[in-house]
Amino acid sequence: MELLLQQLFNGLTIGSVYSLVALGLTLVYGILHIPNFAHGALYMVGGYITLMMMTNAGLHYVLAIVVSIIVVGLLSVLMERLVFHPLRDSPPIQDKVAAIGILLFLEALAQLLWGADYRQMPTPFGEVVNVFGLTLTLQRIIIVAAAIAVMIFLYWFLKKTFIGSTIIAMAQNREGAALVGINTNKVAILTFFIAGALAAIGASLTSPINLVFPGMGHLVILKAFVIIIIGGMGSIPGAILGGYILGFTESIGATYISSDYKDIIAFVLLIIILSAKPQGIFSKGGA
Amino acid sequence: MPVLSIMGLTAKYGKYTSIKEVNIEVIKGEIVVLLGANGAGKSTTFKTISGLLKPAAGEIIFNDEQIGGKQPDKIVELGIVQCAEDRKLFPQMSVQQNLMMGAYVHRRNKGQIKQSLKEVNELFPILYDKREDAAGSLSGGQQQMLAIGRALMAKPKLMLLDEPSIGLAPLIVEQMFKSIEHINREGTTILLAEQNANAALSIADKGYVYENGKIVVHGSSAELFSNEEVRKAYIGA
Repeated sequence: MELLLQQLFNGLTIGSVYSLVALGLTLVYGILHIPNFAHGALYMVGGYITLMMMTNAGLHYVLAIVVSIIVVGLLSVLMERLVFHPLRDSPPIQDKVAAIGILLFLEALAQLLWGADYRQMPTPFGEVVNVFGLTLTLQRIIIVAAAIAVMIFLYWFLKKTFIGSTIIAMAQNREGAALVGINTNKVAILTFFIAGALAAIGASLTSPINLVFPGMGHLVILKAFVIIIIGGMGSIPGAILGGYILGFTESIGATYISSDYKDIIAFVLLIIILSAKPQGIFSKGGA
Repeated sequence: MPVLSIMGLTAKYGKYTSIKEVNIEVIKGEIVVLLGANGAGKSTTFKTISGLLKPAAGEIIFNDEQIGGKQPDKIVELGIVQCAEDRKLFPQMSVQQNLMMGAYVHRRNKGQIKQSLKEVNELFPILYDKREDAAGSLSGGQQQMLAIGRALMAKPKLMLLDEPSIGLAPLIVEQMFKSIEHINREGTTILLAEQNANAALSIADKGYVYENGKIVVHGSSAELFSNEEVRKAYIGA
């Protein structure tokens, strides 16, 4: 029982990070209509910026995350302006190739700047606490709490504010959005900033319990793809739910099947869910 | 005084010229109809006025301001709102959310939004009954009402209505034209593209007839009604 609870909490931790990354990916999908492969690179840069701000600039973990959010958010906007915006009328395959190009470029750049070593990120929240008989590190509790707080805020922003609604409107009908007076360029910039910020938060939260290295975005982005496919491309509740489904399945699977197969579980889950619901769980009727 | 003067407007999709040297004048308070077959250039004219397509040549003057080539959001802010042929609703948003998005340019004026919402709900009571439903779940006629309602939420000075009767049952078409007349009486100038020439000319002040991207005939509704060619091609009597 205790093992199960412990693993459920682990699932909640991993799932929170997956959800954050998948949310950014699904929001940008609404603009680009392709999955942005470079999203994994933003995640990786997010981890590095936080680490560098802590080790080189001596900033506190929380402050370092704030810097990372801003830097990666702007990097994401730069990506939109310099690459995706000029390609907006090109066939989708060109966006896909460009996204892969950005991914490779940023990874090579990270390796050049920071080396290929696996690095550990310190955290001021390393102590171990006891909650309901479970032994948890404070960092894991912070991951879950921060991720949920960010998601609630994002949900409120998208649903309850005019500016946030423009993101949803543009994803559902780009020309319709322009015809009600929405500046679609500004919405694209805003969306890319938010997606970058979410990737930076996800990476910075999870880095103290994982490691920081140039390829750290690979598996995460592949899983984020699985999540938004499972949840339904472009669906926001789908990204959140999909993230947690994957997190729980992985941690339970790792315990009761074998931790060697942890990373395969995502893809087995993908096959099972797509066999049953080819459009994803939150598929948007018909279209 | 003309609110909208289009002079020598040419627009292209890539290399293909879609409309050529189009001249249109709309006076404040009028209903002006653009007639013509599918692909004759009516929708292209609308897209160019709305800023979705850049003009290749010519001028679009709205209230003494040259607006050709401006961004769509700027054109909405100036007071021209298009209700597109394929409606361009936000299908997963509720009816009410769609209407609220229509008031995007007035987002800082909560009082006005409330007032506009009341007016739209009075004009199309069904939109109030269905306010919680997803826009994509509405019938064709209801979607058209929502598209017009959403456009009204922006408080347009000039409304571009692209084939509001397309695909609707005859009874609904009749209601639709009554609503358009009502909107016009309340002070909105209307530029209407239609294939249903009979119904359109009966509410319009004047009309322009398109053929292959050019305007071939124009005149008052009465003139177009009695024009032999127009009768043969578009009225069928």
